[in-house]
Amino acid sequence: MTAEAMATVRVQTKVRSRFLGELSNEPGSELFLPAGIPGFESEHSLLPVEIPAYRPLVFLQSTERPDVCFICLPVSSIDPDFSIVVGEDDRATLGLPAEGELVAGEDILCLALLLPLPGAVRTNLDAPIVINLRTYLCAQVVLTRCNGSRRLAADGRWEREC
Amino acid sequence: MLVLRRRAGEAILLGDDIEIEVVEISRTRVKLGVKAPRNLPVLRREAAAVAGENKASALASGDDIQNILRLLRNSTCQA
Repeated sequence: MTAEAMATVRVQTKVRSRFLGELSNEPGSELFLPAGIPGFESEHSLLPVEIPAYRPLVFLQSTERPDVCFICLPVSSIDPDFSIVVGEDDRATLGLPAEGELVAGEDILCLALLLPLPGAVRTNLDAPIVINLRTYLCAQVVLTRCNGSRRLAADGRWEREC
Repeated sequence: MLVLRRRAGEAILLGDDIEIEVVEISRTRVKLGVKAPRNLPVLRREAAAVAGENKASALASGDDIQNILRLLRNSTCQA
């Protein structure tokens, strides 16, 4: 479904989630991914969900597949010094201006996907989910190694992985 | 590895179904166009590794969520 077609859908729909049960999908609240994300190229619509009991986690629930639900954190909560350079191809995918500074929180939001490990959590800050806050276009921007991976260990500290 | 030289506008074929064309050459990068069957994923190499991470992330269980929250709250308590 194209972004334009989705924009014409005005009725509230329900989205099923294997984690979160049945969710209400308010019109215009979903994120549209023109190119999907690596490994999920056919996933073009994700519903961002925040639940008070699960804060600070942000869930990105597929609107098509209940079994596809990504667990995320705002990158700034992991690395306050995080920086990203969005290349021209990704800017075009996200509907961002071809040039110019992108301000986190105004122009874009970056989320890090969390990867559970035994006793720990890992995240790759070189592959953030980037959201255009004006259009809700979304893409996973894969960087050549700049920020690296982080691991949340049992003592609660985010550590840089080599 | 087979190494071929191509100019902008030239292409190479992989089997009967895949064509890779050099669309544009700049000083530091090459723009490639890929024609391939829709069921064949075409990824940058660094994106292929990310695909595996994404699949693992999407398979997280309810217990994993609780473990993540517990670790995050350890972090908050230490702040």
